[in-house]
Amino acid sequence: MNKVKIFTAGIDLGSTMTKVLILDGEGKSRAQVTGATGAEHRRLANKVMAQALGQAGLSLEEIGYIVATGYGRVNVPFADCQVTELTCHARGVSHLFPSARTAIDIGGQDAKGLKIRDGKLVDFVMNDRCAAGTGRFLEVTAETLGLRLEELGELSLKAASKVEIGSTCTIFAQAEMVALLSQGRPLAEILAGLHQAIASRVVKMVTGLKIEADVVFTGGVAQNAAVVQAIKEKLGHDVLVPDEPLFTGALGAALLAREIALKCLANGKTIPDKERRLEEARLYEDY
Amino acid sequence: MVNWWQGDPILKAMDVATVYPEDYGAVCAAFGAAQAYLEGAEADGFPAHMCGYARNCLGYTARMIELGEIPPEAPMGGMPQPSLLLASGALCDARYKWFQALGRYLDAPLWVLELPHPGVKEGLMEGAGEGNIYFIAQQLREFISFLEKLLGRRMDWGRLDETVDSTMEMNRWWHRANELRRARPCPMHSRDFWSSMPASLYMANDPGETAGLYRQMYDEIKSRVDNKIGALKAPERYRLAFLELPPWHSLDFFNQLAERGWNFVIESWAYHPPRPLDLDRVSDPLERLARYSYHWLTGYYPKANQAEEWWGYFAYPYLEYVRDYQCDGVVLHPLLSCRTATNHLMMVRDRLMKKLKVPSLVIEGDIVDLKLFDPARALSQAEAFEETMDHYKKLRKEAGLGW
Repeated sequence: MNKVKIFTAGIDLGSTMTKVLILDGEGKSRAQVTGATGAEHRRLANKVMAQALGQAGLSLEEIGYIVATGYGRVNVPFADCQVTELTCHARGVSHLFPSARTAIDIGGQDAKGLKIRDGKLVDFVMNDRCAAGTGRFLEVTAETLGLRLEELGELSLKAASKVEIGSTCTIFAQAEMVALLSQGRPLAEILAGLHQAIASRVVKMVTGLKIEADVVFTGGVAQNAAVVQAIKEKLGHDVLVPDEPLFTGALGAALLAREIALKCLANGKTIPDKERRLEEARLYEDY
Repeated sequence: MVNWWQGDPILKAMDVATVYPEDYGAVCAAFGAAQAYLEGAEADGFPAHMCGYARNCLGYTARMIELGEIPPEAPMGGMPQPSLLLASGALCDARYKWFQALGRYLDAPLWVLELPHPGVKEGLMEGAGEGNIYFIAQQLREFISFLEKLLGRRMDWGRLDETVDSTMEMNRWWHRANELRRARPCPMHSRDFWSSMPASLYMANDPGETAGLYRQMYDEIKSRVDNKIGALKAPERYRLAFLELPPWHSLDFFNQLAERGWNFVIESWAYHPPRPLDLDRVSDPLERLARYSYHWLTGYYPKANQAEEWWGYFAYPYLEYVRDYQCDGVVLHPLLSCRTATNHLMMVRDRLMKKLKVPSLVIEGDIVDLKLFDPARALSQAEAFEETMDHYKKLRKEAGLGW
C-alpha cells in the first residue's frame, strides 16, 4: 500500500442515508457518494464504498485509514475504527467553519445540538428516541401530500402566512395536516407551519446548550431552505449551511482518519493495517 | 417499602421478616422478568408513566392472585403474601397510592410512616428540627402499639435497643467502605455498590451479621487501596458519578464503559447510608431512630445553606461528592417513571458545571422498564462525552481546581 499518499475515507452509516467521503493526500475531497441505508442496505455499506472508490479512481488498498461513523458504524467490516457521529460532526463542522461554536444537525431520525470549542466537542444534546421533527417527519409529510421531498421547502417559502401546527409528532401532525387541508387551508401555508414546528422543536432543544454564534446547520434536513429560514427566524440571527450538509459527518470521519494516520507517521509508526475486503457486513444475527 | 431505617429495625425486633417490592423490582428487571409484570399492571389500568417498581409490584401481585400462588416464573422465589404492608412517605409521591392499591389486591393492613423533609429554609429555624424529630419518634411509638395489637405480643425494648445499635453499626461500616473509594484508582465500582447496597437500604435479616459483612468488605477495599488495585481491568481513564438508580435491566452497559476505562466511583446520596452520627447519649431507641433517619435526609441542610446553595438542598451533596471523589464527569439517569429521582438532576448539572467545571451526560431511561432505555444510543453518547470530559479536565486545571 502506498502510505505516502495517505488517502483517507469516512463512511457515515446514517439511519436513512449512507455517505462516503474520500480525502486525498492534501486533505481535499476526492470523492463523495450517498446511497440509501434502508433495511436491506444496512449490510451493504460496501456498495456505497465501491462507488466512491470508482469516483476517486482508487482501490480499497490505496486508502490509508477508514473511520466509520453513524448509527450503523459497527456494520462496516472494512473500517479501521468506529467513532461516534457526535464527534465526527463536530470535526466536520469545525473544518468547514472554524468560527463555529454551535451546530444543529437534523438527520433522518435524530436531531442533535453540538457545542464546539477549537474543533472539540464540549457539550451536546440529542432528541429523545422519538423521531418527531426529523427527516422522517418530512418524508411522511411529503408522502401524505403526494409531493417529492425536495419540493417541500420551495413550496413552503411561497406561503403568504403560516398555520399553527400543534405537534411535531409524525402521526399527530399527519392527522392535523389532513384536517387543515379539508378546511381548505393553502398547502404552502400548512408546509410553512410544519417547518416552523420543526425549527421550534430543535431550537428549544439546543437552547439548553446556550447557543453561541456562529451557528452551523447540517444534516439532510439542512437541504430544506424553509427549515433553514425558520431556524434563522427562531434564533434571531444567521446560520451557516455547508454546500453539502449531508456529508458533514462523513467529512469529520475522514478528517479523523487523516489525523490518526498522520499521527502514526509523525511518531515513526506505521499506520495500523489490516486486510480489507469490500464484503457485506455480517450482522449480529448472522453469527 | 424502603423506610430509611425507621420501621424495619422495629419489625426486626418483633421477629417480622421484611420483603421489599422496590428491591424485587430491580431483581425482576435484572432477570428479564419485569416486562410481563409491567404489562400486567398496565392491563389493570395503571398508567405506563407510573413508577416502574410500583407497576412491577402490582403486575406481579395481580398474577399471584390470579394463580393463587407465587408465580412459577418469578425470579429468586418471588414475594410471598404479606401479613402487613408498611409504606413510607419519604421522598416518593408514588408510595401512598401504590401501597393503598396493593392493600386492596392483597387484603392486608397498611401502615404509613412519615419522614419530614422540609425543603425550605424554615426547616433550619430554631426548634423546627427538634419538632420533626419528636413527631417521628411519636409516630414510631404509635406504630409499635399497632404492631403489638396485630401480632398479639409486646415489644422487647431491650432487643429493639440492640437492633437499633446494630443498624447504625452496619451503616457505619458501609459508609467507611464507601469513603475508601476516593482513592486513585478507585477500588470499587458502582456495580459493586449497587450489589451491596440492598443489605443496608433494604436491611437484610440480621443487621449485626450485615455489619460484620460490611466490615469484611471494608477490609478488602482497604487492602485494594493499599496495594493500588483499581476496580477495572483496564486503566482508570475517567472517574464518574452515576446519579440515580441504574437501568437494572441493562447492567452490561457498565461493562462496556469499563472496557473504555470508565470507573464509576460514587452514586446518588439517597442510596448511601447517613454519615455517622454520635447518638450514644440518647437512651430512647425510638429517638435514636428518629434522629438518625432525619439526619440522613436533612444533614446537608446547614452546609448547603452556608454555601449559599439552599435552593438546591437536594442537589448540594453532589458538589461535595464530585469534588471529594474527583470526578471527571457525571452520568445523569433521569428515570422516566420517577419524578423524585429526576426533578433535581438538571439542577445538579447546572451547579456542577458552574461551580466545579464538571460536565454531565444525560441518558434517559428507567429502573425497570426496558422500553425506555436505548443502550446503543447511550453508548454512542458516552463515547462522544469523553472528548467533553477531556476538555473540562483542562479547564479545571487552568482554574486551579486540582483534578
